[in-house]
Amino acid sequence: MKTRIKEFRAKYNFTQEDLARKVGVRRETILFLEKGKYNPSLKLAHDVARALKTTIDELFIFEKRK
Amino acid sequence: MKTKNKDKIRMSAILIVSLFVIATGTLFSLTSFMKGDIAGGVAGVFIAITILVFAIFVFIRGNRDMKKGFPLHDERSRKVLEKASSKAFYVSLYLLLAIGFLSDDLIKFRDVSQATGIAVGVMAILFAVFWAYYNRMEI
Repeated sequence: MKTRIKEFRAKYNFTQEDLARKVGVRRETILFLEKGKYNPSLKLAHDVARALKTTIDELFIFEKRK
Repeated sequence: MKTKNKDKIRMSAILIVSLFVIATGTLFSLTSFMKGDIAGGVAGVFIAITILVFAIFVFIRGNRDMKKGFPLHDERSRKVLEKASSKAFYVSLYLLLAIGFLSDDLIKFRDVSQATGIAVGVMAILFAVFWAYYNRMEI
């Protein structure tokens, strides 16, 4: 899974800490989300997308299974 | 606000439990040394120090995050905790089995409490190791 969180974060000038506070999670969670190393729950994905004024589809890119 | 209060209570609980465990480990070591059981004493000291280091790390990290306005736990940290504790439990089943098999011939335990103490201590170390591992891995 790839994400565009970093890109959207830069767009709104948010730091990882700002986004973490907005969503109510720890900073490491945002870091791992950005790296694509954490599969969030639907609720967290929704909250992050909402904080970055976008949609889940725009934010998370799921690679097709081979 | 509610979460902050919960986090403060949780931090205090962690501190109290850690202090109890360290005190117990120290007592265990002292009695082992007094009874002439050097290996048991050293194991107790090692376990107490490991738990102390882990508790200090958790306490400092939690305090720093609370001051910055982050929650002590979120869904990822809970997932890491769940994975680490289930894996530590799974591995420790084999450990208990091994202690059971080896206690008659290879390892001479002073008494049941010593064997249990060492098993619990190793379980705690296993948990810490798995926690550190899963905290860096993709989950």
